[in-house]
Amino acid sequence: MEGTCAGFRKELVSKLLYLHFKDDKTKVSGDALQLMAELLKIFVVEAAIRSIWQAQAEDLALVDLDQLEKVLPQLLLDF
Amino acid sequence: MEEEEAAEEQQRFSYRQRLKAAVHYTVGCLCEEVASDKEMQFSKQTIAAISEVTFRQCENFAKDLEMFARHAKRSTINTEDVKLLARRSNSLLKYITEKSEEIAQVNLERKAKKKKKSENENKDSLEPAEAGVVESEN
Repeated sequence: MEGTCAGFRKELVSKLLYLHFKDDKTKVSGDALQLMAELLKIFVVEAAIRSIWQAQAEDLALVDLDQLEKVLPQLLLDF
Repeated sequence: MEEEEAAEEQQRFSYRQRLKAAVHYTVGCLCEEVASDKEMQFSKQTIAAISEVTFRQCENFAKDLEMFARHAKRSTINTEDVKLLARRSNSLLKYITEKSEEIAQVNLERKAKKKKKSENENKDSLEPAEAGVVESEN
């Protein structure tokens, strides 16, 4: 499988993090931003894959909110 | 005064909305890739829900990262803080640690290339002068 979607852009990750910092002095290193982009990508991919597995276990062709709801608790615990 | 506050509030709200939209786009892209690989389909609401959860999770991540750095008496968040974030699942921690080393390696190689390039440029300009010094000593 070739990745056509590169994932989260560094600039977007930066804006998302800075939106929630309490201290004005807080900064993020470039390497940490790259790593966070990876972490967020994994988060999304895990949510997607686990929902798919749930749907497959229920013999469904469409992954809907019900399937996501079932996998969400464990996903959030793992992160 | 109230008008200014309301306008600021409105600006913050639309900034948030724009970020959410950007996240939604990336999430949609990633889910589409996963879906086509597994030959399954996501409902639009599911993609929207994953996007919403991801956006909210960022808040937790950001606050934790800030706390970790502060705990280490730093104001700049580094990769060690991010690794700490990934501690809850062993396989996640392993993956993130490997990625962190990959990133460090790539950046190291990039720096080495840059340094070599500038060294070569300096060498070319120095050589003739050095050769001159050696000859005159003999």
